[in-house]
Amino acid sequence: MQIYLPIAEMAVPVESILVLGTVVGFLSGVFGVGGGFLMTPFLIFMGLPPAIAVGTQANQLVAGSLSGVLGHWKRGNVDFKLGGVMLAGSVIGSVVGVVLFKMLQYIGQIDFVIPVLYVVLLGTMGAMMFFESLMVLIRSKGKPASDEKPSLLTKPFFQALPYKMRFPRSRLYVSALVPATIGFVGGLLVSIMGIGGGFLLVPAMIYILGMPTLLVAGTSLFQILLTTVITTIMHATANHTVDLVLAALLIVGGVVGVQIGVRVARRITGAWARVALATLLLLISFQLAGQLFIRPADLYTATVW
Amino acid sequence: MIRLVCMLALMIVSAANARAQTFADSPLTIDLAQDHVDITMGFNGADLVLFGTRRGAGDVAVVIRGPEVPAVVRRKGQVMGIWMNMRAITFRNVPAYYDLALSGNEADFAAPEALRDNRIGLNTLDFRPDTRLDRTVVESFQEALIRNRQLQGYFPLEPRRINFLSNDFFRADFRVPPNVPTGDYLVQTYLIREGAVVDRRETRLRVAQVGFNAKVYSFSRDHGFAYGIAGVLLAVIAGWGAYAFSRRD
Repeated sequence: MQIYLPIAEMAVPVESILVLGTVVGFLSGVFGVGGGFLMTPFLIFMGLPPAIAVGTQANQLVAGSLSGVLGHWKRGNVDFKLGGVMLAGSVIGSVVGVVLFKMLQYIGQIDFVIPVLYVVLLGTMGAMMFFESLMVLIRSKGKPASDEKPSLLTKPFFQALPYKMRFPRSRLYVSALVPATIGFVGGLLVSIMGIGGGFLLVPAMIYILGMPTLLVAGTSLFQILLTTVITTIMHATANHTVDLVLAALLIVGGVVGVQIGVRVARRITGAWARVALATLLLLISFQLAGQLFIRPADLYTATVW
Repeated sequence: MIRLVCMLALMIVSAANARAQTFADSPLTIDLAQDHVDITMGFNGADLVLFGTRRGAGDVAVVIRGPEVPAVVRRKGQVMGIWMNMRAITFRNVPAYYDLALSGNEADFAAPEALRDNRIGLNTLDFRPDTRLDRTVVESFQEALIRNRQLQGYFPLEPRRINFLSNDFFRADFRVPPNVPTGDYLVQTYLIREGAVVDRRETRLRVAQVGFNAKVYSFSRDHGFAYGIAGVLLAVIAGWGAYAFSRRD
């Protein structure tokens, strides 16, 4: 059954959109990632203009991340103070990102930059997470499993940064600049790539901040929630690229998927979950990288205003 | 003075009469079965029918032209192994949509000048490029543009056939795809005798969203901020609702 999207000005099959939304919501609940890194490329692949895929995706992420945050909050797994500091950074990041997006569209390099960003980010994060989780798993075979991760915060560079704050729930004492910068990059990614940024936030929280794993998913969802609210409003006001009909369909699938995911999340132990996520990131990264190096079927592309 | 006025009056009246006569004598008459394409929520393309009569012999050509828009064509090249957009040419006055129906074969349909002057046929369209590059390069970009538009369903792969229901009465059937661009279209009909255009008729077609879709679209444009808030609220309600619902398990 086809439905016509008023802003995108094209018809799409309802079933595919619903399934896509559910799968992405599930990933969101399990890993604390937005799932946008699957959704946005898929929407673009279906023929949606990239600007509308990015803007509408931000809207969908609001629903999924809220639903997940509430679940984690109930279990006391969200550090609001830390999330708030990151938010300060991500607001600035979002604004910069929206401006950059328009510029890239104008010079016609948007469909080169976005895949490259995906490849670099997903590849790096995926590889790092993969090897680190493997080490933990291998080591834990011999001795009792301990969820220890090396934290970058112990390095002198981070210790010397100003504006230190206490974050009681995560048991951290760190410069506010660190989470703020992490938030800035997150905001940038949301508005340029149409992703939640979770796959960057989650490793950053684990390896740079050294947060307890249990708090990571909930806090990252909290951060994604606030960032995507702001990005949705900005894209709608500045670019008029949010399609509410598409967003409604994606949301329906997404909230269902997230609730399933949050339940499943409690049964998976930290290291194995990270291995699974890392593998997924690497697969997507290789796929996108491959496409960059393969000669396209038609060297020419045409865009009409 | 009075004689001058009377002569002028006579000339005007006879000219008006003559015009009225040519209207009644015109060899070609056309009308659209429906002069608007309404895009609703379940829009999945639409059929467009044009009826007409012709007096006397001759071939008929019907052209549907969408609003003219600029189009950018980019060509990829390899940089350190990666394929990326290198060169771009912007073409002005590209029809957002173009379709064509002929009553005969395209090959020997009319004299090339007649086709070119009236822009009948994809190869007669003159897209103005914004560059002073080599003619062959521009042509390859233009070919790519036509190819791309054909693939997306905005340009025809080949002309359609006009059906003659009687010796003088014909109909032309078109189908617009689901992603048809909105705007004001021109439907032009030509009568061709011995290779030259002897008559032409024109009618307008409006392609637009209606009803709920149109309201959403104008809401998003006129009140962008409120629209964004509405989107966020929608998402918040859905997210909260799903959470509350799941808690009751």
